[in-house]
Amino acid sequence: MVPPKSQCLLIALLAIAALISAFSGRIDAYLLDVALGAGISIVLASSLNLINGFTGQFSLGHAGFMAVGAYTSAMLTTTLAPKLLGQTELLQWVVFPLSLIAGGLLSALVGVAVGAPSLRLKGDYLAIVTLGFGEIIKVILQNLDAVGGARGLTGIHTHTSLFWVFGSATVTVYVVWSLLNSTFGRGFVAVADDEVASEAMGLNTTHYKITAFVVGSFFAGVAGGLYAHLKGYLNPSGFSFDKSIEIVVMVILGGMGRHSGVIVAAVLLTALTEVLRSFGDYRMIVYSLLLIILMLTRPQGLFFWPLKGKKST
Amino acid sequence: MPDTLLDLSNVTIRFGGLTAVSSVSITVREGELVGLIGPNGAGKTTVFNLVTGVYQPTEGSIHLAGSSLAKLKPFQITNLGIARTFQNIRLFPSLTVYDNVRVAFHRHLQNHSLQSLIRSSNFQKEEAKLQARTLELLTLFNLQRVQDEPAKSLSYGDQRRLEILRALATKPRLLLLDEPAAGMNPSEKTELMTLIRFIRDTFGLAILLVEHDMKVVMGICERIHVLEYGRKIAEGTPSAIRADPKVIAAYLGDN
Ligand SMILES: Nc1ncnc2c1ncn2[C@@H]1O[C@H](COP(=O)(O)OP(=O)(O)O)[C@@H](O)[C@H]1O
Ligand SMILES: [Mg+2]
Repeated sequence: MVPPKSQCLLIALLAIAALISAFSGRIDAYLLDVALGAGISIVLASSLNLINGFTGQFSLGHAGFMAVGAYTSAMLTTTLAPKLLGQTELLQWVVFPLSLIAGGLLSALVGVAVGAPSLRLKGDYLAIVTLGFGEIIKVILQNLDAVGGARGLTGIHTHTSLFWVFGSATVTVYVVWSLLNSTFGRGFVAVADDEVASEAMGLNTTHYKITAFVVGSFFAGVAGGLYAHLKGYLNPSGFSFDKSIEIVVMVILGGMGRHSGVIVAAVLLTALTEVLRSFGDYRMIVYSLLLIILMLTRPQGLFFWPLKGKKST
Repeated sequence: MPDTLLDLSNVTIRFGGLTAVSSVSITVREGELVGLIGPNGAGKTTVFNLVTGVYQPTEGSIHLAGSSLAKLKPFQITNLGIARTFQNIRLFPSLTVYDNVRVAFHRHLQNHSLQSLIRSSNFQKEEAKLQARTLELLTLFNLQRVQDEPAKSLSYGDQRRLEILRALATKPRLLLLDEPAAGMNPSEKTELMTLIRFIRDTFGLAILLVEHDMKVVMGICERIHVLEYGRKIAEGTPSAIRADPKVIAAYLGDN
């Protein structure tokens, strides 16, 4: 049997990521850094898009899940690295990706723990609970000496390359896309549209919401691991409320539940923060002003276009 | 006589001080077309919400083909074979007409979340089969012409028909219709009557119909239950109901 087109595309994109990554030495270091940041943003925004966009839940805790993944994978590699001295290949190609997955899994587990009791809450209430969760994670990390406390965690190996970032971004987008593009997956949108009608059509709305939460927080955790091994150090304050907001904004600007719109928004907003660096201290003011203007002029999202039906996949 | 399919026995529900449904018993037999009528606020929609698990009865019991529906969630009850439409249409507005019907096949799905990632040949076969069945249903109601439109863009009458079709996709044994003729003009109503009869005969299911339009109810129902202020005041064939003085006083009189 020939694999479906979507999987051929997935493999092709992974190969391209590997190819570009092999030549990343020739890319300007600053540009490379921005590109890696943008790729991580794609992972974050696409995964949150499943929760906030497609399933219509309002989570403000994505930075918290990112933190769980970041610290988990960083602790794993920094603990294991001294035992594998000189075996950089093994670290880079086996231990690092496994640590990303471990970070994602722990984050997903936390996602269930937070999601199961709170997904019965609607809209604003869920937002408040997830917001609180994110802040709790931050405070715990600040007070946990084993992970460096408020000083942060340093000495993390910088394994994150173009391949790992764009490979992860491709896989995230593939997973969210293929989940959505099936008879089962249309149920996420049905739940967002009308929970009462969804239940009346036999959809277990709780199951859908938890699935979205688990998948979403898994990839937030992976993004955290990538971020940790990109920067080489972690500080709890990097995972505060504004980071969550930043990701929410990407999803809204991308048109809530539009795969490609959210990818473009993630790249644009990452690039924008870089461009605005020249404004120095006024950066956040200009950034916020731009957001307000965008929201007022394009409330449906920058990249919104009417949804046309897809008959099948 | 066919077996009893739905059996409400002395069902009561109170909302604070208000008894919306008071010790009501209703039965629907396999394949039967039953009407449920009564003035506004009589408790008809509440009966539907009780049967579908949106509300739990304060007293009394509800059985489907002999098994109790107590404590079941709405989606579980749908999976046992009861489907419904809503008095105020509740389609999935941002999904296409096609997808509105497609999601309703959920209870018959073999392949779930993980399979949609792997996309095995098994998964693809099932999706193709569902595609064919969705198209078949859409064509039956002549809705295939708008299948790629978002549901919210349909005309009112088409939205009503799509909602019925979506309920049918769950393959129910019992279909609950809540005022399907509301807002329709006389010729649309006549069409709807034909459609309801057609559904019952083609799909071999039982229908419980809440409807204000007496012509519609009297025209197609084999048996009618009458509610007033949450109580059942009469039950019988259309002609018996038409002649019942209590019903005339409560309901038909002011029509
Ligand atoms: N969730 C609820 N809370 C309080 N009162 C309700 C609720 N649902 C229905 N009612 C009341 O129950 C009564 C019956 O309503 P309903 O079943 O909608 O009537 P019908 O469908 O026959 O017009 C009304 O007085 C209504 O206000
Ligand atoms: Mg009603």
